[in-house]
Amino acid sequence: MKPANRIMKRVLRGGTAAIAAMIIGGASLGYAQESVSVRATLLTGGVPVDDPSAAVWSSAPPATFPMSPQVHWQNRIQEVTVKDVIVRALHDGTQVAVLVEYTDPTQDPDDAAALEFMVGDKKAHFAHGQPMLQVEGGPVNIWFWKNKTGKAIDMSAKGFGTLKPQEHQDVTAKGVYSNGTWKVVFSRKLLTGHADEDVQITAGQFMSISFAVWDGRKDAVGELVEKGSQKAVSSWWYFRADAPPDYSGYMYAAIAAALGLGFQFVLIRKLKKGQ
Amino acid sequence: MGALGTPIILMVAMYAFLKFGLPNIPGSAPLPSSLIFLYLLLTAGGIFMFKTLSGESKDAFWGPIQRFLTGENIGGLQALRYGVFILFPLLVGWQTYGSTAVSDLPPTESRTIHPAPPGEYTGLSNPVPKTPENIMQGKGFYAAYCSPCHGGNFDGKGPAARGFIPAPANFADPTTIAMLQESYLFWRIKKGGVGLPIEGAPWKSAMPRWEVELPDEWIWKIILGEYDGAHQSPRTWE
Repeated sequence: MKPANRIMKRVLRGGTAAIAAMIIGGASLGYAQESVSVRATLLTGGVPVDDPSAAVWSSAPPATFPMSPQVHWQNRIQEVTVKDVIVRALHDGTQVAVLVEYTDPTQDPDDAAALEFMVGDKKAHFAHGQPMLQVEGGPVNIWFWKNKTGKAIDMSAKGFGTLKPQEHQDVTAKGVYSNGTWKVVFSRKLLTGHADEDVQITAGQFMSISFAVWDGRKDAVGELVEKGSQKAVSSWWYFRADAPPDYSGYMYAAIAAALGLGFQFVLIRKLKKGQ
Repeated sequence: MGALGTPIILMVAMYAFLKFGLPNIPGSAPLPSSLIFLYLLLTAGGIFMFKTLSGESKDAFWGPIQRFLTGENIGGLQALRYGVFILFPLLVGWQTYGSTAVSDLPPTESRTIHPAPPGEYTGLSNPVPKTPENIMQGKGFYAAYCSPCHGGNFDGKGPAARGFIPAPANFADPTTIAMLQESYLFWRIKKGGVGLPIEGAPWKSAMPRWEVELPDEWIWKIILGEYDGAHQSPRTWE
Protein backbone atom coordinates (compact mmCIF):
# COMPACT_ATOMS: atom_id res chain seq x y z
CA MET A 1 0.00 0.00 0.00
CA LYS A 2 1.22 3.49 -0.83
CA PRO A 3 2.14 5.70 2.15
CA ALA A 4 -0.36 8.35 1.03
CA ASN A 5 -3.10 5.76 1.07
CA ARG A 6 -2.13 4.65 4.55
CA ILE A 7 -2.25 8.19 5.84
CA MET A 8 -5.66 8.66 4.25
CA LYS A 9 -6.85 5.52 6.00
CA ARG A 10 -5.74 6.88 9.35
CA VAL A 11 -7.42 10.19 8.67
CA LEU A 12 -10.62 8.41 7.73
CA ARG A 13 -10.55 6.36 10.91
CA GLY A 14 -9.76 9.39 13.03
CA GLY A 15 -12.53 11.38 11.40
CA THR A 16 -15.11 8.67 11.97
CA ALA A 17 -14.07 8.37 15.60
CA ALA A 18 -14.25 12.14 16.05
CA ILE A 19 -17.72 12.38 14.56
CA ALA A 20 -18.92 9.43 16.64
CA ALA A 21 -17.45 11.01 19.77
CA MET A 22 -19.17 14.27 18.90
CA ILE A 23 -22.57 12.65 18.45
CA ILE A 24 -22.24 10.61 21.63
CA GLY A 25 -20.89 13.65 23.49
CA GLY A 26 -23.84 15.71 22.28
CA ALA A 27 -26.35 13.12 23.43
CA SER A 28 -24.98 13.00 26.96
CA LEU A 29 -24.38 16.72 27.41
CA GLY A 30 -25.82 18.27 30.53
CA TYR A 31 -26.03 15.32 32.91
CA ALA A 32 -23.39 16.74 35.21
CA GLN A 33 -25.30 19.05 37.49
CA GLU A 34 -25.14 20.45 41.01
CA SER A 35 -28.05 19.87 43.34
CA VAL A 36 -30.88 22.08 42.24
CA SER A 37 -33.65 19.64 42.99
CA VAL A 38 -34.92 17.20 45.58
CA ARG A 39 -35.62 13.79 44.08
CA ALA A 40 -38.16 11.67 45.90
CA THR A 41 -37.05 8.08 45.30
CA LEU A 42 -39.83 5.60 44.56
CA LEU A 43 -40.12 2.81 47.13
CA THR A 44 -42.18 -0.32 47.18
CA GLY A 45 -43.55 -0.72 50.64
CA GLY A 46 -44.06 1.89 53.30
CA VAL A 47 -42.48 5.31 53.59
CA PRO A 48 -40.83 5.99 57.01
CA VAL A 49 -43.24 8.82 57.85
CA ASP A 50 -42.26 9.10 61.52
CA ASP A 51 -38.71 7.80 61.51
CA PRO A 52 -36.01 10.30 60.48
CA SER A 53 -33.35 7.68 61.25
CA ALA A 54 -34.75 4.80 59.18
CA ALA A 55 -32.14 2.94 57.14
CA VAL A 56 -34.17 3.35 53.96
CA TRP A 57 -33.32 7.08 53.88
CA SER A 58 -29.88 6.14 52.61
CA SER A 59 -31.51 5.09 49.33
CA ALA A 60 -32.61 8.69 48.70
CA PRO A 61 -29.98 11.00 47.17
CA PRO A 62 -29.19 13.96 49.46
CA ALA A 63 -29.40 17.50 48.08
CA THR A 64 -27.82 20.45 49.88
CA PHE A 65 -29.27 23.96 49.71
CA PRO A 66 -27.73 27.18 51.06
CA MET A 67 -29.72 29.33 53.48
CA SER A 68 -29.75 33.10 53.99
CA PRO A 69 -31.03 35.27 56.81
CA GLN A 70 -34.46 36.64 55.88
CA VAL A 71 -33.72 40.20 54.73
CA HIS A 72 -36.46 40.57 52.16
CA TRP A 73 -39.09 42.20 54.34
CA GLN A 74 -39.59 43.48 57.87
CA ASN A 75 -38.76 42.28 60.45
CA ARG A 76 -35.35 41.32 59.08
CA ILE A 77 -32.54 39.37 60.66
CA GLN A 78 -28.87 39.79 59.76
CA GLU A 79 -27.44 36.51 60.95
CA VAL A 80 -28.86 33.02 61.42
CA THR A 81 -27.58 29.78 62.85
CA VAL A 82 -28.38 27.41 60.00
CA LYS A 83 -26.30 27.87 56.86
CA ASP A 84 -27.38 24.80 54.84
CA VAL A 85 -30.08 22.19 54.81
CA ILE A 86 -29.63 18.67 53.48
CA VAL A 87 -32.83 17.28 52.02
CA ARG A 88 -33.89 13.77 51.04
CA ALA A 89 -37.27 12.48 49.94
CA LEU A 90 -39.04 9.16 49.44
CA HIS A 91 -42.43 8.19 48.11
CA ASP A 92 -44.37 5.00 47.44
CA GLY A 93 -46.93 6.26 44.96
CA THR A 94 -49.34 7.31 47.71
CA GLN A 95 -47.39 8.88 50.54
CA VAL A 96 -44.41 11.23 50.32
CA ALA A 97 -41.87 11.93 53.06
CA VAL A 98 -39.30 14.74 53.04
CA LEU A 99 -36.35 14.60 55.43
CA VAL A 100 -34.71 17.92 56.31
CA GLU A 101 -31.39 17.72 58.13
CA TYR A 102 -29.33 20.60 59.52
CA THR A 103 -26.75 21.49 62.14
CA ASP A 104 -27.92 23.33 65.25
CA PRO A 105 -25.63 23.42 68.30
CA THR A 106 -28.47 23.39 70.83
CA GLN A 107 -31.87 21.75 71.09
CA ASP A 108 -34.47 24.35 72.04
CA PRO A 109 -38.26 24.13 72.45
CA ASP A 110 -38.68 26.83 69.77
CA ASP A 111 -36.54 25.10 67.14
CA ALA A 112 -38.68 24.90 64.02
CA ALA A 113 -38.48 24.10 60.31
CA ALA A 114 -40.79 24.49 57.33
CA LEU A 115 -41.22 23.51 53.70
CA GLU A 116 -42.92 25.81 51.24
CA PHE A 117 -44.45 24.80 47.89
CA MET A 118 -46.02 26.69 45.03
CA VAL A 119 -49.67 25.66 44.59
CA GLY A 120 -51.19 25.34 41.13
CA ASP A 121 -49.80 26.70 37.87
CA LYS A 122 -49.21 30.30 38.87
CA LYS A 123 -45.77 31.34 40.10
CA ALA A 124 -45.66 32.44 43.73
CA HIS A 125 -43.04 34.67 45.31
CA PHE A 126 -40.81 32.71 47.69
CA ALA A 127 -41.60 35.14 50.52
CA HIS A 128 -45.01 33.69 51.47
CA GLY A 129 -46.38 34.29 47.97
CA GLN A 130 -46.35 38.06 48.46
CA PRO A 131 -48.02 40.00 45.63
CA MET A 132 -45.89 40.83 42.60
CA LEU A 133 -46.50 44.12 40.82
CA GLN A 134 -46.47 42.99 37.19
CA VAL A 135 -47.24 39.27 37.50
CA GLU A 136 -50.32 37.61 38.93
CA GLY A 137 -49.01 35.21 41.52
CA GLY A 138 -50.45 32.09 43.15
CA PRO A 139 -50.66 30.90 46.76
CA VAL A 140 -48.11 28.86 48.69
CA ASN A 141 -48.58 25.80 50.87
CA ILE A 142 -46.40 25.70 54.01
CA TRP A 143 -45.68 22.61 56.10
CA PHE A 144 -44.50 23.87 59.48
CA TRP A 145 -42.97 21.85 62.32
CA LYS A 146 -42.02 23.04 65.79
CA ASN A 147 -40.06 21.07 68.38
CA LYS A 148 -42.27 22.27 71.26
CA THR A 149 -45.50 20.94 69.79
CA GLY A 150 -43.90 17.94 68.09
CA LYS A 151 -46.30 18.09 65.18
CA ALA A 152 -46.89 19.72 61.83
CA ILE A 153 -49.26 22.48 60.80
CA ASP A 154 -50.49 22.55 57.21
CA MET A 155 -50.77 26.22 56.23
CA SER A 156 -51.58 28.51 53.33
CA ALA A 157 -50.44 32.01 52.44
CA LYS A 158 -50.80 34.50 49.63
CA GLY A 159 -48.93 37.57 50.75
CA PHE A 160 -47.70 38.93 54.07
CA GLY A 161 -50.09 38.65 56.98
CA THR A 162 -52.19 36.02 55.25
CA LEU A 163 -50.48 32.93 56.69
CA LYS A 164 -53.01 30.70 58.40
CA PRO A 165 -53.55 27.04 59.25
CA GLN A 166 -55.81 25.20 56.84
CA GLU A 167 -59.11 23.63 57.77
CA HIS A 168 -57.83 20.33 56.42
CA GLN A 169 -54.67 19.24 58.23
CA ASP A 170 -52.95 16.69 55.98
CA VAL A 171 -49.31 16.89 57.07
CA THR A 172 -47.45 15.02 59.80
CA ALA A 173 -43.95 15.73 61.05
CA LYS A 174 -41.45 14.22 63.43
CA GLY A 175 -38.14 15.69 64.56
CA VAL A 176 -35.22 13.88 66.16
CA TYR A 177 -32.26 15.74 67.65
CA SER A 178 -28.95 14.00 68.06
CA ASN A 179 -25.27 15.06 68.13
CA GLY A 180 -25.98 18.66 67.20
CA THR A 181 -28.13 17.73 64.23
CA TRP A 182 -31.86 18.03 63.66
CA LYS A 183 -33.53 15.51 61.39
CA VAL A 184 -37.12 16.42 60.66
CA VAL A 185 -39.34 14.28 58.47
CA PHE A 186 -42.47 15.79 56.94
CA SER A 187 -45.05 13.54 55.37
CA ARG A 188 -48.28 13.78 53.46
CA LYS A 189 -50.26 11.98 50.79
CA LEU A 190 -49.04 12.88 47.28
CA LEU A 191 -52.53 14.10 46.42
CA THR A 192 -55.14 15.72 48.63
CA GLY A 193 -58.65 16.69 47.69
CA HIS A 194 -57.84 20.41 47.99
CA ALA A 195 -55.89 21.48 44.92
CA ASP A 196 -56.57 25.17 45.57
CA GLU A 197 -54.63 25.22 48.84
CA ASP A 198 -52.44 22.08 48.90
CA VAL A 199 -49.57 21.28 46.58
CA GLN A 200 -50.52 18.24 44.49
CA ILE A 201 -47.53 16.01 43.85
CA THR A 202 -47.64 14.14 40.54
CA ALA A 203 -44.83 11.64 39.95
CA GLY A 204 -42.44 12.76 37.22
CA GLN A 205 -43.34 16.45 37.43
CA PHE A 206 -41.10 19.19 38.75
CA MET A 207 -42.55 21.54 41.33
CA SER A 208 -41.09 24.41 43.33
CA ILE A 209 -39.97 23.97 46.93
CA SER A 210 -38.18 26.19 49.44
CA PHE A 211 -37.06 25.86 53.04
CA ALA A 212 -37.08 27.83 56.28
CA VAL A 213 -35.45 27.11 59.66
CA TRP A 214 -35.67 28.82 63.05
CA ASP A 215 -33.04 28.23 65.71
CA GLY A 216 -35.02 28.62 68.94
CA ARG A 217 -32.07 29.94 70.98
CA LYS A 218 -32.55 32.90 73.30
CA ASP A 219 -30.37 35.98 73.76
CA ALA A 220 -28.89 37.30 77.04
CA VAL A 221 -32.20 38.78 78.16
CA GLY A 222 -34.20 35.67 77.37
CA GLU A 223 -35.72 36.84 74.07
CA LEU A 224 -35.97 34.55 71.08
CA VAL A 225 -33.42 35.57 68.43
CA GLU A 226 -35.10 33.84 65.51
CA LYS A 227 -38.88 34.11 65.43
CA GLY A 228 -41.60 34.83 62.89
CA SER A 229 -40.06 36.44 59.82
CA GLN A 230 -36.63 36.39 61.47
CA LYS A 231 -35.46 33.04 60.20
CA ALA A 232 -33.15 31.29 57.75
CA VAL A 233 -34.67 30.98 54.27
CA SER A 234 -33.77 29.44 50.94
CA SER A 235 -34.63 30.37 47.37
CA TRP A 236 -37.01 28.32 45.26
CA TRP A 237 -35.61 24.93 44.21
CA TYR A 238 -37.18 22.00 42.42
CA PHE A 239 -38.85 18.94 43.88
CA ARG A 240 -39.80 15.86 41.91
CA ALA A 241 -41.24 12.50 42.88
CA ASP A 242 -39.71 9.78 40.68
CA ALA A 243 -42.08 8.25 38.15
CA PRO A 244 -42.24 4.44 37.85
CA PRO A 245 -39.52 3.19 35.47
CA ASP A 246 -40.40 3.55 31.80
CA TYR A 247 -38.63 1.24 29.35
CA SER A 248 -40.31 2.46 26.17
CA GLY A 249 -37.17 4.45 25.25
CA TYR A 250 -35.29 1.17 24.69
CA MET A 251 -38.03 -0.06 22.38
CA TYR A 252 -37.96 3.12 20.30
CA ALA A 253 -34.16 2.91 20.15
CA ALA A 254 -34.32 -0.70 18.92
CA ILE A 255 -36.86 0.20 16.24
CA ALA A 256 -34.73 3.13 15.10
CA ALA A 257 -31.58 0.99 14.98
CA ALA A 258 -33.44 -1.66 12.93
CA LEU A 259 -34.62 1.03 10.52
CA GLY A 260 -31.05 2.31 10.22
CA LEU A 261 -29.81 -1.19 9.46
CA GLY A 262 -32.55 -1.71 6.87
CA PHE A 263 -31.70 1.60 5.21
CA GLN A 264 -28.08 0.49 4.88
CA PHE A 265 -29.02 -2.79 3.25
CA VAL A 266 -31.33 -1.14 0.72
CA LEU A 267 -28.77 1.57 -0.08
CA ILE A 268 -25.93 -0.86 -0.70
CA ARG A 269 -28.08 -3.21 -2.72
CA LYS A 270 -29.13 -0.31 -4.94
CA LEU A 271 -25.55 0.89 -5.29
CA LYS A 272 -24.25 -2.57 -6.18
CA LYS A 273 -27.02 -3.29 -8.65
CA GLY A 274 -27.69 0.04 -10.21
CA GLN A 275 -25.10 2.61 -11.04
CA MET B 1 -9.31 8.74 -2.05
CA GLY B 2 -8.00 12.27 -2.71
CA ALA B 3 -11.43 13.71 -3.41
CA LEU B 4 -12.66 12.55 0.00
CA GLY B 5 -9.54 13.37 1.93
CA THR B 6 -9.90 17.13 1.80
CA PRO B 7 -13.52 17.16 3.06
CA ILE B 8 -12.65 14.85 5.94
CA ILE B 9 -9.63 16.90 6.91
CA LEU B 10 -11.75 20.06 6.66
CA MET B 11 -14.46 18.60 8.89
CA VAL B 12 -12.00 17.39 11.50
CA ALA B 13 -10.17 20.72 11.45
CA MET B 14 -13.46 22.60 11.78
CA TYR B 15 -14.50 20.41 14.71
CA ALA B 16 -11.13 20.87 16.42
CA PHE B 17 -11.34 24.63 15.91
CA LEU B 18 -14.90 24.91 17.28
CA LYS B 19 -14.29 22.58 20.19
CA PHE B 20 -10.75 23.49 21.26
CA GLY B 21 -9.68 26.61 19.37
CA LEU B 22 -12.61 28.98 19.70
CA PRO B 23 -13.08 28.73 23.51
CA ASN B 24 -9.44 29.84 23.95
CA ILE B 25 -9.94 33.11 22.11
CA PRO B 26 -10.09 35.83 24.80
CA GLY B 27 -13.66 36.86 25.56
CA SER B 28 -15.06 33.69 24.04
CA ALA B 29 -16.73 30.72 25.73
CA PRO B 30 -17.13 26.98 24.99
CA LEU B 31 -19.81 26.36 22.39
CA PRO B 32 -22.76 24.11 23.24
CA SER B 33 -22.44 20.82 21.39
CA SER B 34 -25.74 21.44 19.57
CA LEU B 35 -24.22 24.59 18.03
CA ILE B 36 -21.02 22.74 17.09
CA PHE B 37 -23.19 20.11 15.44
CA LEU B 38 -25.06 22.80 13.50
CA TYR B 39 -21.83 24.45 12.31
CA LEU B 40 -20.46 21.07 11.20
CA LEU B 41 -23.67 20.40 9.28
CA LEU B 42 -23.29 23.76 7.54
CA THR B 43 -19.63 22.99 6.77
CA ALA B 44 -20.59 19.59 5.37
CA GLY B 45 -23.35 21.22 3.31
CA GLY B 46 -20.90 23.75 1.90
CA ILE B 47 -18.35 21.08 1.03
CA PHE B 48 -21.04 18.98 -0.58
CA MET B 49 -22.26 21.85 -2.74
CA PHE B 50 -18.73 22.76 -3.77
CA LYS B 51 -17.79 19.18 -4.58
CA THR B 52 -20.87 18.52 -6.68
CA LEU B 53 -20.82 21.75 -8.70
CA SER B 54 -19.42 20.23 -11.90
CA GLY B 55 -20.01 16.76 -13.31
CA GLU B 56 -16.32 15.99 -13.03
CA SER B 57 -15.91 16.96 -9.41
CA LYS B 58 -19.19 15.21 -8.64
CA ASP B 59 -17.82 11.91 -9.91
CA ALA B 60 -14.55 12.48 -8.10
CA PHE B 61 -16.53 13.09 -4.91
CA TRP B 62 -19.12 10.32 -5.16
CA GLY B 63 -16.85 7.70 -6.70
CA PRO B 64 -14.80 6.96 -3.57
CA ILE B 65 -17.92 7.04 -1.37
CA GLN B 66 -19.66 4.51 -3.59
CA ARG B 67 -16.59 2.32 -3.73
CA PHE B 68 -16.30 2.47 0.02
CA LEU B 69 -19.96 1.59 0.59
CA THR B 70 -20.03 -1.23 -1.94
CA GLY B 71 -16.64 -2.49 -0.82
CA GLU B 72 -15.11 -2.73 -4.30
CA ASN B 73 -11.31 -2.66 -4.37
CA ILE B 74 -10.95 -0.94 -1.06
CA GLY B 75 -8.44 -3.41 0.37
CA GLY B 76 -7.62 -2.72 3.99
CA LEU B 77 -10.55 -0.39 4.44
CA GLN B 78 -12.92 -3.35 4.46
CA ALA B 79 -12.76 -3.63 8.24
CA LEU B 80 -13.58 0.06 8.60
CA ARG B 81 -16.50 -0.42 6.20
CA TYR B 82 -18.01 -3.09 8.43
CA GLY B 83 -17.31 -0.90 11.43
CA VAL B 84 -19.33 1.91 9.87
CA PHE B 85 -22.19 -0.51 9.10
CA ILE B 86 -22.30 -1.60 12.75
CA LEU B 87 -21.82 1.87 14.20
CA PHE B 88 -24.44 3.67 12.11
CA PRO B 89 -27.53 1.76 13.37
CA LEU B 90 -26.16 1.91 16.91
CA LEU B 91 -25.81 5.70 16.69
CA VAL B 92 -29.32 6.03 15.28
CA GLY B 93 -30.62 3.94 18.18
CA TRP B 94 -28.60 5.93 20.72
CA GLN B 95 -29.84 9.25 19.43
CA THR B 96 -33.43 8.02 19.45
CA TYR B 97 -33.05 6.83 23.02
CA GLY B 98 -31.56 10.18 24.01
CA SER B 99 -34.40 12.13 22.47
CA THR B 100 -37.24 10.00 23.90
CA ALA B 101 -35.82 9.43 27.38
CA VAL B 102 -37.47 11.52 30.10
CA SER B 103 -35.03 14.18 31.20
CA ASP B 104 -33.76 14.17 34.76
CA LEU B 105 -33.10 17.87 34.48
CA PRO B 106 -35.51 20.45 35.83
CA PRO B 107 -37.12 22.78 33.30
CA THR B 108 -34.70 25.44 32.14
CA GLU B 109 -35.65 28.91 33.20
CA SER B 110 -34.38 31.86 31.26
CA ARG B 111 -34.24 35.08 33.19
CA THR B 112 -33.61 38.54 31.77
CA ILE B 113 -31.13 40.17 34.12
CA HIS B 114 -31.92 43.78 33.19
CA PRO B 115 -35.51 43.80 31.85
CA ALA B 116 -37.02 47.00 30.49
CA PRO B 117 -38.28 49.38 33.18
CA PRO B 118 -41.81 50.83 33.12
CA GLY B 119 -42.04 54.07 31.14
CA GLU B 120 -42.23 56.33 34.15
CA TYR B 121 -38.80 55.14 35.30
CA THR B 122 -36.88 55.95 32.13
CA GLY B 123 -34.81 59.10 31.82
CA LEU B 124 -35.21 60.40 35.37
CA SER B 125 -32.19 62.34 36.51
CA ASN B 126 -30.87 62.25 40.05
CA PRO B 127 -32.36 65.25 41.88
CA VAL B 128 -29.76 64.97 44.63
CA PRO B 129 -26.57 66.94 43.83
CA LYS B 130 -23.43 64.84 43.64
CA THR B 131 -21.64 66.41 46.59
CA PRO B 132 -19.16 64.63 48.89
CA GLU B 133 -21.67 64.91 51.74
CA ASN B 134 -24.51 63.33 49.79
CA ILE B 135 -22.23 60.56 48.56
CA MET B 136 -21.12 59.89 52.10
CA GLN B 137 -24.71 59.83 53.35
CA GLY B 138 -25.61 57.48 50.51
CA LYS B 139 -22.78 55.15 51.49
CA GLY B 140 -24.08 55.19 55.05
CA PHE B 141 -27.57 54.15 53.92
CA TYR B 142 -25.96 51.56 51.64
CA ALA B 143 -24.05 50.10 54.58
CA ALA B 144 -27.25 49.86 56.62
CA TYR B 145 -29.73 48.57 54.04
CA CYS B 146 -27.87 47.16 51.03
CA SER B 147 -24.53 45.80 52.19
CA PRO B 148 -25.93 42.68 53.97
CA CYS B 149 -26.49 41.23 50.47
CA HIS B 150 -24.59 43.43 48.01
CA GLY B 151 -21.51 43.48 50.24
CA GLY B 152 -19.39 46.11 51.95
CA ASN B 153 -17.13 45.98 48.89
CA PHE B 154 -20.07 46.43 46.47
CA ASP B 155 -19.22 42.99 45.03
CA GLY B 156 -22.51 41.17 45.72
CA LYS B 157 -20.85 39.01 48.39
CA GLY B 158 -22.52 40.24 51.57
CA PRO B 159 -22.99 37.86 54.52
CA ALA B 160 -26.69 37.35 53.69
CA ALA B 161 -26.14 36.62 49.99
CA ARG B 162 -25.30 32.92 50.04
CA GLY B 163 -28.79 31.42 49.86
CA PHE B 164 -30.30 33.75 47.28
CA ILE B 165 -30.75 32.77 43.65
CA PRO B 166 -30.45 34.98 41.63
CA ALA B 167 -27.39 36.19 43.51
CA PRO B 168 -27.37 39.86 44.57
CA ALA B 169 -25.89 42.08 41.86
CA ASN B 170 -22.16 42.77 41.93
CA PHE B 171 -21.88 46.53 41.37
CA ALA B 172 -18.15 46.38 40.70
CA ASP B 173 -18.87 44.18 37.67
CA PRO B 174 -18.91 46.37 34.54
CA THR B 175 -22.08 44.62 33.29
CA THR B 176 -24.31 45.84 36.13
CA ILE B 177 -24.72 49.47 37.21
CA ALA B 178 -22.02 50.72 34.80
CA MET B 179 -24.28 49.94 31.85
CA LEU B 180 -27.44 51.26 33.49
CA GLN B 181 -28.79 54.74 34.04
CA GLU B 182 -29.45 56.13 37.51
CA SER B 183 -33.13 56.13 36.58
CA TYR B 184 -33.02 52.34 36.16
CA LEU B 185 -31.43 51.84 39.60
CA PHE B 186 -34.08 54.09 41.11
CA TRP B 187 -36.77 51.79 39.71
CA ARG B 188 -35.04 48.60 40.86
CA ILE B 189 -34.40 49.85 44.40
CA LYS B 190 -37.87 51.36 44.78
CA LYS B 191 -39.91 48.42 43.51
CA GLY B 192 -37.51 45.58 44.36
CA GLY B 193 -37.76 42.00 43.15
CA VAL B 194 -41.55 41.94 43.16
CA GLY B 195 -41.59 44.89 40.73
CA LEU B 196 -39.85 42.92 37.97
CA PRO B 197 -41.78 41.96 34.84
CA ILE B 198 -42.35 38.26 34.18
CA GLU B 199 -39.13 37.86 32.15
CA GLY B 200 -37.20 38.92 35.25
CA ALA B 201 -38.66 36.02 37.32
CA PRO B 202 -39.86 38.24 40.19
CA TRP B 203 -40.89 35.22 42.31
CA LYS B 204 -37.22 34.35 42.90
CA SER B 205 -35.79 37.75 43.76
CA ALA B 206 -35.04 38.63 47.39
CA MET B 207 -34.57 42.34 46.61
CA PRO B 208 -36.80 44.30 49.03
CA ARG B 209 -39.39 46.77 47.79
CA TRP B 210 -37.67 49.73 49.44
CA GLU B 211 -40.39 52.27 48.57
CA VAL B 212 -42.35 51.06 51.59
CA GLU B 213 -39.45 51.81 53.93
CA LEU B 214 -37.19 54.50 52.46
CA PRO B 215 -37.99 58.00 51.15
CA ASP B 216 -37.08 58.68 47.49
CA GLU B 217 -34.35 61.09 48.52
CA TRP B 218 -32.53 58.36 50.42
CA ILE B 219 -32.76 56.05 47.41
CA TRP B 220 -31.18 58.71 45.15
CA LYS B 221 -28.41 59.18 47.71
CA ILE B 222 -27.85 55.41 47.87
CA ILE B 223 -27.42 55.48 44.08
CA LEU B 224 -24.72 58.16 44.40
CA GLY B 225 -23.00 56.12 47.09
CA GLU B 226 -23.19 52.92 45.06
CA TYR B 227 -21.56 54.36 41.95
CA ASP B 228 -18.87 56.04 43.98
CA GLY B 229 -18.15 53.01 46.14
CA ALA B 230 -18.07 50.59 43.19
CA HIS B 231 -15.88 53.01 41.14
CA GLN B 232 -18.39 53.07 38.30
CA SER B 233 -20.24 55.80 36.43
CA PRO B 234 -23.85 55.70 35.32
CA ARG B 235 -24.54 55.25 31.64
CA THR B 236 -25.60 58.43 29.93
CA TRP B 237 -26.87 59.23 26.47
CA GLU B 238 -24.07 61.65 25.69
